[in-house]
Amino acid sequence: MSRDEIPPGTLYMLILRVLARNGELHGFEIAKCIELLSQDVLQVEEGSLYPALQRMLMKGWVKAEWGVTAENRRARYYRLTTAGRKQLEQEISRFERVIGAVTRVIQTA
Amino acid sequence: MDFWEWVLENLRRVRMLFANREHFNQELDEEMRLHRELRARELRHDGRQIDEARVAAHRRFGSTLRLREEIHEAWGWNWIDNLRQDLGYGFRLLRKSPGFTCAVVLTLALAIGANTAIFSVVNAVLLQPLPYPHADQLISVLEANAQQGIKANGFSYRDFEALEQSGIFAEVAGADRHDLTLTGAGDPTVVTTVSVTPGMFSLLGVSPLQGRYLFPGDNKKGAGAVVLLSEGLWRTRFGADPNILGHSIHLDQRAFTVVGIMPGRFRVPIFGLHQEIWIPLVQDPLFGPWMEKPALHFVPVVGRLRPGASLVSVKSQMDALTQRLREQFPAEDGGWKPRVVPLQAVLVGDMKAPLLVLLGAVALVLLLACVNIANLLLARATSRIREVAVRQAFGAGRGRIVRQFLTESVVLGLLGAAAGLALGSWSTRALVSFLPADAPATQPAQLDGWVVGFALLLSLAVSIGFGMAPALLTAGADVQSNLKSNAAQSGADRGGMRLRGLLTRAEIALAMVLVAGAGLLGRSLIKMTSVNPGFTVAHVVKAEVSLPRYQYSTPQQWTAFSDAFMERLQAEPGMQDSALAVPLPLADAPVNLPISFPDRPASAQRAQTADYASVAPNYFRVMGIPLLRGRNFDRHDTASSPHVAIITESLARMYFRDKNPVGEKISFGFPPGSPEVHEIVGVVGNVHDAGLSQEPGPMMYVPFDQEPFWGGMVVVRSTLPLTNVLGAIRQSVASVDKDLPITDIATMSEIVDASVQQPRFRTYLVSGFGLIALLLAAAGVFGVVSFSVASRTREFGVRASLGATPGNLSQMVLREGLVLACSGLAVGLAAALGLTRFLKGQLYGVAAYDPVTLVVSIVVLLVVALAACYIPARRAMRVDPVIALKYE
Repeated sequence: MSRDEIPPGTLYMLILRVLARNGELHGFEIAKCIELLSQDVLQVEEGSLYPALQRMLMKGWVKAEWGVTAENRRARYYRLTTAGRKQLEQEISRFERVIGAVTRVIQTA
Repeated sequence: MDFWEWVLENLRRVRMLFANREHFNQELDEEMRLHRELRARELRHDGRQIDEARVAAHRRFGSTLRLREEIHEAWGWNWIDNLRQDLGYGFRLLRKSPGFTCAVVLTLALAIGANTAIFSVVNAVLLQPLPYPHADQLISVLEANAQQGIKANGFSYRDFEALEQSGIFAEVAGADRHDLTLTGAGDPTVVTTVSVTPGMFSLLGVSPLQGRYLFPGDNKKGAGAVVLLSEGLWRTRFGADPNILGHSIHLDQRAFTVVGIMPGRFRVPIFGLHQEIWIPLVQDPLFGPWMEKPALHFVPVVGRLRPGASLVSVKSQMDALTQRLREQFPAEDGGWKPRVVPLQAVLVGDMKAPLLVLLGAVALVLLLACVNIANLLLARATSRIREVAVRQAFGAGRGRIVRQFLTESVVLGLLGAAAGLALGSWSTRALVSFLPADAPATQPAQLDGWVVGFALLLSLAVSIGFGMAPALLTAGADVQSNLKSNAAQSGADRGGMRLRGLLTRAEIALAMVLVAGAGLLGRSLIKMTSVNPGFTVAHVVKAEVSLPRYQYSTPQQWTAFSDAFMERLQAEPGMQDSALAVPLPLADAPVNLPISFPDRPASAQRAQTADYASVAPNYFRVMGIPLLRGRNFDRHDTASSPHVAIITESLARMYFRDKNPVGEKISFGFPPGSPEVHEIVGVVGNVHDAGLSQEPGPMMYVPFDQEPFWGGMVVVRSTLPLTNVLGAIRQSVASVDKDLPITDIATMSEIVDASVQQPRFRTYLVSGFGLIALLLAAAGVFGVVSFSVASRTREFGVRASLGATPGNLSQMVLREGLVLACSGLAVGLAAALGLTRFLKGQLYGVAAYDPVTLVVSIVVLLVVALAACYIPARRAMRVDPVIALKYE
């Protein structure tokens, strides 16, 4: 099965969404979640996850804390902040607006 | 994004700048490693080999190095890294060439230091508004009387009241200064007293530190005597006694109730920085009675403009008011016309021109320093052409190279600014201590935010401005040719050499202007100090004794005191040559009075004044003033005998031509407006009483016994040590009245010195600037000529092998220096001739184009330029043809 790369600009929204659903996750779990939730259709370009996470830390949308995985390995866990939750709502509504517009264009064509 | 989020985001960025970078990278690596390992394990579950899975996981992940860089960039670390690199590199380079660094930093420090010091003073005196609210509304109002030759005097109190009632100004107030003796709080001492009309305080918009200020009722006749203390006097004399309000202190032996304490920075304008107490005008022992004499114009007035009123409209209203007064009171107000000037202009007064001259001179030093630094940076840039070419070849962009040079110049500029500010704060203090104590400033000069900002801006502008030129010069050059060729032959270098030659000529020209200026001021100072003041200076000591006016209220008491005092003093061994006088030449402000000649027809009278002094008979002998005609004052000239006067040669020549003035009549009186006929009994030599650089004007003396004052200046000529003389004076005064303070002790040579303090100070400063200019110009010539010698080593080698003697070679070098110097001097001479005319007002006995000074300046600069060529010339002489030809 071929996998599609996620559209540019939606990476933040996906990460925020995944974190909103699952609480605390480390980087690989975030990547996996995005794949699973999209039923393997969307694939995160794995490395780009980390610069995106750093930018979100800078914006204050997420918080990071070191923790331990089930297999007892050190991992950095990311968690949504209030600002992040607000951002997610904004991103979703903007995304839906765009998608709606695009869909309308396609359907009327 | 709202504002707070933006602030928080930037706070996070800033915090990250200080984070441990090593630690941050480790955490990032660990996080990414975990990701790849988990991915690899998952792929293995899909059935791949371990190695294969790991490679696939790596490929899917991407380059960790690139990701890390992306993250660093996101946090804004890249430009910091570049800056850190540039700074590190810059510092290393500067450390490696300490001579260059020292030269630039020192040059900047000298220029910035001198400029901040002068600017601090200019800022305090000329730029800062007066320290009162809405100071631009404050106007000085004086009166002038062309008929009596009086340029600026105060108002008579009656005229002041008319002005107050006219409503021309929103508020008006008058004041005059008069020192009183404070007794009962430690040793008797003279305190600087400003006697004011009570409106002064609300007009200036100040409030007292404690208690109240003066109210109109305090200035009514018969009101209780009240006094305001300055914070300084309250602390030093009264130990900051919190209960002093309501208590009385003794001024001139009369009780004054303390009603308020004024904050330390409060001053009544026009009366200097040192003010200790303020009393109502009516309570002043001198001015109080004058309030009822409408012929005495003695109260300088300050007014506050009504909102929206213009100076022009106020002037015309003032003209109308004084016109009315002249018509109404022709006897007392005839001839008096108003002088209405913004207060700031009055306070700045005479300081403006000399300060602007100093500012101009110091600006020239700064310009010279800039040129010198540009020269140094340029020399350095040419020697770094190869380095730049190598860096360009490795892919450094032009912007990156320009930035490197800029960073270096900013580092240099900041170092220079720091050193300059240190020097500046020190020299400002030195400068302030040199400034005359009665400088018209209303606030002390100091380094404040303005001045520091000025220095920082200056040094950054200089360093960036001149850091740019070499950066562009090298970055614009052709990489290929720069890489291949020797630095000394590249195109950029030839352009650089031409530019450096021009800069050096500019340095010589600037130095010429400063040296000529210093020379003119120096010659003028020499002329001034060699002026014969008209009296003997050696071994003459003066001191002031002032009598409390309430206790000694009548002229008879004053005479009695002076007679008793003089008798005791002259009885002391070695003190025979002593006398009393009011005022003393150069030490005190001259007293100028209108004069007239009663024997001449009124039509022959014109506006005329002469300076006045009341002296004891011994005075002329003590001061060594020669009696040219007639007789001296003697014991028979008493209060009851006809009034006599001795006039100076200049007065005699001006009004009696070749006639013998002895026996003629002259009319004048102190205070002005109370003329009295005097018979001229003698003529004495002229005295420079107003200043050494001012031609001695007409002057007349009266016997102290006929026109006594409440004390005066005692002058003693004695070869005894100063302490003995002072001891004798103290003892004699104390034996008459133990409560009298003795103040203002000085030798007459100190007085003469002090009278030329300002011009001397100015001359020293400009000479210092001239010296700096010479050093900088010499450094410029040395740099250019020695660089040219170094780059022509081969040429010298060829010449030497073809038979040129070392003498020929050194001559070539000297000629090069001479050509450089001469073309610079030509420009400098023209500039000096153009600029020195601004000095005209500061010069005495020397023309602004004084040929001697100009020729000497040219010779000095030529000698300095040739001296700077000496080392390069020696180097050229020692060129070994074999080595020179093999070289390269």
